[in-house]
This record gives sequence, structure tokens and C-alpha cells, in this order.
Amino acid sequence: MSLRQILLVLKREYMTRIRSKAFILATVLIPLGMVVFFGIVIGISLWDSDTEQTIGIADRTEVLYPRLQEIAPDRYKDLSDLAEDSLQSLVQREEIDGFIVLEESHIEGQKNPEFVSSGSGGLKLQNTLRTDLREVIRNERLARANVSEDVQKIYESDISLTTTKLTETGEETEDDTGFLTIVGFIMGAIIFGAISGYGGLITRSVIEEKTNRIIEVIASSVKPIELLFGKLAGIGALALTQMTFWVASLLGLAAAAGPLAGIFLSEQMSNMPETAQAAQGSQGIDPEVFSIPTIDTSLIIYFAIFFILGYLIYASIFAAIGSAVDSEADTQQYMFPVMVPIFVAYIIMFQTMNNPDGTLSVIGSLIPFCTPIVMITRIAITDVPFWQISLSILLMIGTFMGTMWLSAKIYSVGILSYGKSTNWKELMKWVRQG
Amino acid sequence: MAVIEVSNISKSFGDTQAVDNVSFEIPKGRIFGLLGPNGAGKTTAIRIINHILIADSGTVTISGYPVSSKTQSMIGYMPEERGLYKKMKVGEQLIYLAQLKGLSHEEAKTKIRYWLDRFEAADWFDKKVGELSKGMSQKIQFIATIAHNPDIYIFDEPFSGLDPINSEMLKEIVIELRDNGNTILFSTHRMEQVEQMCDDICLFNNGKAVLKGNLREIKQRYGKNTVNIEFEGNDAFLDDLQDVRINNRSANYAEIRVLNGQSMQEILKKAMNHAEIYKFERVEPSLTEIFISTVGEDNINPNELA
Repeated sequence: MSLRQILLVLKREYMTRIRSKAFILATVLIPLGMVVFFGIVIGISLWDSDTEQTIGIADRTEVLYPRLQEIAPDRYKDLSDLAEDSLQSLVQREEIDGFIVLEESHIEGQKNPEFVSSGSGGLKLQNTLRTDLREVIRNERLARANVSEDVQKIYESDISLTTTKLTETGEETEDDTGFLTIVGFIMGAIIFGAISGYGGLITRSVIEEKTNRIIEVIASSVKPIELLFGKLAGIGALALTQMTFWVASLLGLAAAAGPLAGIFLSEQMSNMPETAQAAQGSQGIDPEVFSIPTIDTSLIIYFAIFFILGYLIYASIFAAIGSAVDSEADTQQYMFPVMVPIFVAYIIMFQTMNNPDGTLSVIGSLIPFCTPIVMITRIAITDVPFWQISLSILLMIGTFMGTMWLSAKIYSVGILSYGKSTNWKELMKWVRQG
Repeated sequence: MAVIEVSNISKSFGDTQAVDNVSFEIPKGRIFGLLGPNGAGKTTAIRIINHILIADSGTVTISGYPVSSKTQSMIGYMPEERGLYKKMKVGEQLIYLAQLKGLSHEEAKTKIRYWLDRFEAADWFDKKVGELSKGMSQKIQFIATIAHNPDIYIFDEPFSGLDPINSEMLKEIVIELRDNGNTILFSTHRMEQVEQMCDDICLFNNGKAVLKGNLREIKQRYGKNTVNIEFEGNDAFLDDLQDVRINNRSANYAEIRVLNGQSMQEILKKAMNHAEIYKFERVEPSLTEIFISTVGEDNINPNELA
């Protein structure tokens, strides 16, 4: 193998692409597109929470409704004068979204209130009603039990969790799980996107040389394996350039967006009634999360390692696919089985975000075809044992050598077979023949 | 010493024996024609010589060196399936291809400037290949083949797809290269096209070399057993001739191979009775005829001998 030839191929692959308008546009537009996408998602969820339902309250106790009104004056409407059948007809005419009849037995006994609705509202409304009712009934019970003010205060106090992470050196650091989960997700998603995107680019690049019919001219100067290495390295270098640009922008954005989001969210919360804010607080969105946490250098290094290894494994396969077919339309039958593990890894990643040390996450992060996506998310969120990281890296290197060996055989035969797309059986023959 | 020496090479793809124990040698400074119908194994043999494919058995040496990456840069190869990167500029692309053949960037640039000038294409240097016409990109393809100034040139089916102007130009280049002491290997299934150019030939059929040697000697060996006849009138008399094989027949022309020592005067008499004769000439057989009589009429698919 001649390094000179590999470098020449690498340079061509890199230079012709990095200067192309399509590449420059994609580099700028993809992050912009993602920002717009997330903006829309967040925008929708904020806008959506503004819709309010009206719930009729028929309060037979005369003490619960005033308490509810304190919590959310717009949500609860006093319809205590009406009988149950008129309430039902109000719901049917859609003048109210539902009603609840509150009786003494709800306070004195253990009977649960019943929410009658036309079916609108969804889970979120039910949660809100449950929380509100639990609170007013509990407070009324406390008031009636004549407990001391101290005890009442204990019940009114709200407890939220401050988390601290103990590092191996014994140092206590502020825990940034919320932030790091997002970082882990973004890193996993970037690797997922990059593997599929650059894999496709590799396949197209190989097919292009075949359909252009330049491949035989090249093959009379360069060994197929040199061409393959040069191509993987050239497009890999292109990928790294793009990644560096994106990660740098991401870090820049994170530094800027963290405080901004913090300010934005705390304003939102101070506008809410106090009790609601307390309820929100205990559910976990803590403005603290959005203070500027630092991303470890080691995380960035791991990202680079898993990105490069993941890219190499898949790129070698995608190159073989390109050499086995005659046009892009014929890649389907091979693309599908290759994309399955990538998608499985992507799905496991969502589980990993909630439970980074669960069995599924650990196993997923050790399967070489899923490692790049799952492992980086785990490393970002939790403290992954070093043996698992080293094992996954070793497994990936081994897998790459295997896929590269197979791919080189298929590639060296495939690039010279024009005019037909091959099938699996033929492919096996090439591997034996190559 | 032979510049290209092919000894007993064989290559099979699955059940297909593409090249079957073939040997030939090409002396320095000659134009060598590798002839035969499509699918005879010419391209496979050429790819083995170019070290693109590896022979299952047998050896190939180039100027004494066994084929390797090193011998690749001693050869200028224009494959039958040829093309260029459409999105790359002409200059860049030619420099890249010449660099792959071992030239430095500067050397490559100088050579390519020279050849672009020579083909009156100097102002294409910064044009993308995709913007060129077919004839123009064929010229670029020649430059890509010869720019690194090798001693050996291999053209696989060079005339297929060429327009007449470029065809003529290629012939001139090939003769010029030979006259400068270079060695040229051609392959073609259109035998009449290279008859005038080749010094030596090797006929391929079904993966085997069935006839090889100096073209002139081969032809002389067959003697003047063929008649070229040009006439005006009804050509039905040609169908009545016995013990002949008619090649290259058209409305007023035929190439008649006379078999079994039959007298040519008889044929002339018959022809005179039916048509007005413009020309009647005893000649050596054409390569096509030699090929047919070598492998036997039953062993070839006439459609493949276009």
C-alpha cells in the first residue's frame, strides 16, 4: 500500500467537496434548521399550555370552592346552585368542559371525587385536577383537625432536590444531569445523523466513479484498497471539519443560550401563581439547570473517538454497497439491513437518556454497531466504568477491521463490474474471490 | 527483449474461463493488435497486464519486471469503459491523474499545459469536464492516458464511441508514439480498423490465443486467395457461386474467399455474364477472413464480428 497514493486520493475527495456550494450550504443550514425545528417544538408547547378549560364545581360543602378559586380562579366555575342533571346538560352543550360534585364525604370519609367530562382535557388536565383537589381537601382536613400552625406549615413547605455529583477524586461538583442529558442527546443525534449522512455520501461517491466510468482509469494507477482508504479518510476529514464547526458553534450557543433560557424560564415561573410554581418546581424543571455547566474535555475527546470509529465501521460498509450496485436506486436492498442497527441504537438512546445505567443501555453501548450513539449518550450523562468504555472501543476497532476486510474484497471486485447490480449470492462469491 | 511478456496466463470468473493459458510477447517499438470478437477475453487479458486483475496462474512482465504498482506507472492505459470526473476542472483532473501515475504536481502541470496547447485546448484548463462536448472530453481522455509520458500505451477498443475527427487524431498519435520508439497494445473487435496500423497481432477466441505473429507474414502465409470485386448490376450471381465464402458484401461490392483451389477465372466469367465488372483484384485475405478460417465458421457468432 502506498501512502502517497492514499494521500492523493484523500486530498481530491476532501478538496473537491469542501469547496462545493452544497457542502458550505449544508454546513450552515443544517444547524440553523435544527434551531428552527427546536424553536418550533418549544414554541408549540409554550403556546399550547395557555389553553384553559373551564370546570364546573358543584360544591355541597361550601368550603372547598373558595380554596380552589385561590389556586386557579379561571379554571373553576362555581355552579353549586345547579343540580347534577343541569350540570350534565351544560357539559353536553359544551359550555363547560366537565364538572365535579364535591360533598362532605370527600372531606370526612375516604370517598374520591368524580370528574365528569365530555372527554376533552386529556391527561394533563386530569393531573392538574388531581393535584388541585388533593391539595384543597388535604388543607381542609388539616384545618378541621385543628392541628397546630407548625404542622400546617410543614405541609405547606415544598421540598425540591438539589443534586451533587461525587467525582472519583472525592470532589463534590454540582450535578448538571439535566444539561448533560441534553448534551448527550445532541451528541448521539449528531453521530446518528453523521453516520447516515456521510454513509450515503460514501455510497454515492463510489457509485459516481462507476457510472462516470472513471474507475478503471483510476484502478490502473491505484490499488482498490488505497482508493478505498483514501476515500474513507477524505470524506472522514470532511466530516471532522464539519463536526468541529458544529461542535464549536454548539458550545458557543450553549454558553450563550444557557443563561438566556434560565432568565426566560424563571420569568415564566414568577408569573405563575405561587402554588403552581411550587408544583412545577417539585416536578423537576429547576432554573438552576440552565446555569452554565461546563462540558468536560474528556467528553469531547470521547465524542471524537466514537464518532470516528462509528464512521469508519459504517463507511466501510457503505463503500462496499456502492461498489455492488450500478445506480443509487439499487442500494435499497442493502441499505435497509445496515440502517436497522443505526435506528435501534437511536431508539435505545432515548431509553439511555432516562436510565443510562440500565441493562438495555449497557448492552446497547457494548454492541459495536450501536456503541457510537448509545455510549456517547451514556458517557455524557453518567459515570460509565472505564472497563466498559475500553471494551466498547476495542470491540469497535475489531469490528472495523472485520468490516474493512469484507468491504475491501467486495469493493475490489465490485468497482469493475459495470452494468448490473448484484445480489447477495453474488456478493458472497466476490468475498471468496476477492 | 520483449517489453510486454505474457506467459501462460489464465483467469476464470466462477464457471467462466475468461482467459485460458495465453502467451504472447510484444517487442519494443511495435504496434500490437489484440483482436477477437466481444467476450473473447481481450479486456481481461489487458486488465491483467495493467495489474487491475490478478491472473489465476501464469506471469506477466513489463520491461522485465513482474506486474505491480510500479509497472502500472510505466503504462498509459485507456480502458474501453472510460470517463472522467464531471464536476472537476479539466486542469485539476489531469494533474490528479498524472500525479497518481507518479508525477510531481509541477511536472504534471507542465506536461498537461503542453498537451492542452497541442490539442488547441489551452483555454479549457479551468472548465469543468461536465461542460465539455463529447468530442472535447475524448481529447481530454487521450491527454489523461499519455500525459505521464510512459513507454507503453494500451488502448482497449480505442475507436468505439470516437467521432471521426478524434479517430483520425488517435491514429496519428499512435503512429507518432510508435515512431518515437514507444510500444503500443491495441484491442479491438473491429478488425478492419486496425489492419493498416498493426505490426503484430494476436487473435483471441473463447479465451484462447488462436493465432499470433507478424501481420504481414500471416497474410503472406495465406496467399492471394481472395478476390475483391466491384460491379454494377444484379448481384444474384454471388449466391450461385460454389466453394466460396463471401465477406463484406454490399450491393456492388464483395470480398470473395476462394476455397478448394477453385479457379478464379471461373468466378470472373460468371460475374461477367451477369454484371458489368469495374474491378477484379486478387488480394491477400482480410483479417476478418483469416480469423474465420482460423477458428472455423461454426465456432463464432457472426454478430460479434461487426
